Amino acid sequence: MNTNLKISNVTKIYPGCIANDNVSLEFNSGKIYALLGENGAGKSTLVKILSGVIIPDEGKIYLNENNLKLNSPLDAKKNDIGMVFQHFNLFETLSVFENLIIDSDEQRESLREKIDTIMKKYNFSIDLDIPILNLSAGQKQKVEIIRCLIRNPKVLIMDEPTSVLTEQETSELFLSLKKFSEEGILIIYITHKLKEVMQLCDEVAVMRRGKLVSVSEIKNENIESLANKMVGQNLKTIKKKKAKTSSDQLIKITNLNFTSEDPFETNLMDINFSVNRGECLGIAGISGNGQSELFQVLSGEIISEKNSIEFNNNYIGDLSPQERREYLMAFSPEDRLEQAAIPQMKIFENVALNNFKSSNFFNNGLINENKIKEHSKKIISDFNVNTDNIELKSQFLSGGNLQKLIIGRELITSPDLLICFNPTWGLDVGAINYIHETLIKINEQNKSIILISTDTDELLKLSDKISVIHKGKLSKIMNAEEVTSEKLGILMGGAN
Amino acid sequence: MIKIVKRDQPSRAIFFFTPVLAIFLTLVAGGLIFFILGFKPFEALKFFFIVPIADKYGFSELLLKATPLCLIAIGLSFCFKSNNWNIGAEGQLTFGAIVSGGVALLFYEQEGFYILPIVILAGAIGGMLYASIPAILKTYFNTNEILVSLMLVYVSKLILDYLVVGPWSNPEGFNFPETRQFSDSAKLPILFEGLRIHAGIFLALAAVVISWFVFYKTYLGFQMKVSGFSLKTARYAGYKGKKMIILVFLISGACAGLAGVGEITGPIGQLHREISPDYGFTAIIVAFLGRLHPVGIIFASLVVAITYLGAETAQIFMQIPKYTGQVFQGMILFFLLASDYLLFFKIKFIGSKK
Repeated sequence: MNTNLKISNVTKIYPGCIANDNVSLEFNSGKIYALLGENGAGKSTLVKILSGVIIPDEGKIYLNENNLKLNSPLDAKKNDIGMVFQHFNLFETLSVFENLIIDSDEQRESLREKIDTIMKKYNFSIDLDIPILNLSAGQKQKVEIIRCLIRNPKVLIMDEPTSVLTEQETSELFLSLKKFSEEGILIIYITHKLKEVMQLCDEVAVMRRGKLVSVSEIKNENIESLANKMVGQNLKTIKKKKAKTSSDQLIKITNLNFTSEDPFETNLMDINFSVNRGECLGIAGISGNGQSELFQVLSGEIISEKNSIEFNNNYIGDLSPQERREYLMAFSPEDRLEQAAIPQMKIFENVALNNFKSSNFFNNGLINENKIKEHSKKIISDFNVNTDNIELKSQFLSGGNLQKLIIGRELITSPDLLICFNPTWGLDVGAINYIHETLIKINEQNKSIILISTDTDELLKLSDKISVIHKGKLSKIMNAEEVTSEKLGILMGGAN
Repeated sequence: MIKIVKRDQPSRAIFFFTPVLAIFLTLVAGGLIFFILGFKPFEALKFFFIVPIADKYGFSELLLKATPLCLIAIGLSFCFKSNNWNIGAEGQLTFGAIVSGGVALLFYEQEGFYILPIVILAGAIGGMLYASIPAILKTYFNTNEILVSLMLVYVSKLILDYLVVGPWSNPEGFNFPETRQFSDSAKLPILFEGLRIHAGIFLALAAVVISWFVFYKTYLGFQMKVSGFSLKTARYAGYKGKKMIILVFLISGACAGLAGVGEITGPIGQLHREISPDYGFTAIIVAFLGRLHPVGIIFASLVVAITYLGAETAQIFMQIPKYTGQVFQGMILFFLLASDYLLFFKIKFIGSKK
């Protein structure tokens, strides 16, 4: 039976932004649809409307010509709309089967039979009686998918499903999705990753700033054309010139360990690496494998043994971030809004967070506001931050401008080493390009970078050497030319 | 139709307007309560808020009550601004009073200009010592400073109780729970003949000026601001978190201790059980009503001080229990928190679309 899902003139307004502006779309079963857009384009809002989590201000949704009233997620379930969210909704300590029976009204025996059939049909192999916490991210996602399939859905919506998956798990997922589509399930795939759209989908709808900008068939598109639609401007592609290999060692990490008291943190085990001048070392990995801990150990937020970090022939493992800055290290943490900057403070105040003795921001314990302001103006013009008011609170900067300010703040003192963690996370393509160009420029000036990132493409583009972190351990360090994203994927998944 | 809309930018005018709104709403609600109790609302409010400060004596009493509130609130704002929740100022006040009172009793037969400074210093040190307990437990043992500082209030009150009943009680005092009167050299000078307002007010004013300077002009103030917004950022910037926690607790304790000194060497002149009508707790309201801003705190301490005076007047003239004062203090905080909603949201009146 054919399924037809129609979204008609849906509008959802939040204070200060229009999340969905009069969006109309039509989907038919047998095809896989991509809903593409940058963070904040309105994809998630639309999907939440379809799954009953959010009620639209205006507009209607029709399934096979029936007007649906979706006032709660339960209504969506009743109307055969299944949804797999980016973050899993599973009880970690319960078994797989217990998780599945929670929202099912079937008998244990018949449910188990049903699950077995589904698993056989789609080649899933999951032990139903082990607790969820023993499963990998890919397996957890399969449990979520099975939960939807039990109800024989007509529509299956996947929200950014690959953000936690390895390359291998991703291709398995794609195979399953194609099979579902052949079975007649209408699939809507939400993502901002262009490659995946090209690989998997038949039709693509692009959203930008709450508006639907285009609907087209994949065969008429390519990555560049989609990227341009998504961003709304033509992008130039950037390439890194092969760096002259230098043998002048800048930083050396020897037998570095970190054991956390917090069970939600990852322990670092026996980390060893070195970076030469002018080099960019990329550290890949799926988030939550110790990247945050590694960043903190390198920045000095977590103190380690004095001899474990040697920088420019000094042992600095026991120094605080501020003391490390004096040795010309700079840090750009992952979390822009809660760590790298304070949104409620003014731009120039945020600049004062990176404070050197020689910058003279604070003399004899007093604030030297003129000096800070002068410095801030320079950052704003040198790094293209789109404002000329340094008294502006940073919360009014877009993510991209805020990141430029942060990178600018860290770089304007011309440090020998910049350590950055997911520097382009959640940014629009224009800002990403700018940051990438900036990072390449640093390397060209014979300064070094440690780039911890979960974005494989970014790493392949910028790094000279790459290593992969998995469960707190680093893989051996590889030359970037020898590495492919497939190979990284295997290492990220924990295989050798 | 009424619609709630998020503000693009928290308005600075609203930031200082909401405390005024809170006070207005408190008056309205207070009037309503008086009405329900069977009083004429306007008359009752007049007894509560205007009669007490209508003459010179009343005004001096107002400043007398506002002094400790202001001093403690200034100290607390060092803690609150940097994300440290010291709610035990009452305990720090009591312990400061105990230490300075002990020193004053040592000199009870002596006269000399050097006595008062020693007594004052002793009070500040006492408050600091007492505040250092929650600070050290927090920094080195990860305890919750709210619980520790609060519970220590009761400990200090019991210590005071023991001292004034036992070892320090006045040998010629007919077993009243109080110590000897301090010598005149251990007392803060009275500013005007016949009025009770004393030199302690200068301590409060000095605290206002110093705190303003520290908050807005110094590196320490900047670090406190950053820590107040995000401890993660403070750590990333490399600030010495533990040192700062201890420092702000010490400052806060010193202020509370000084407030204790002001009470016992000012209007009271000795130690007894009831040296403070919960100034330490009320000052928390003052600190927030004044938006943790030194100048705001001056105004807030005056407003809240009226509730103390008004409660006494109301008790005398209207036979209302003086605890009504606490009701008013509670309402101010309640309405302040409620009207803070307006900082981030605005109410829009929209004509219905048809």
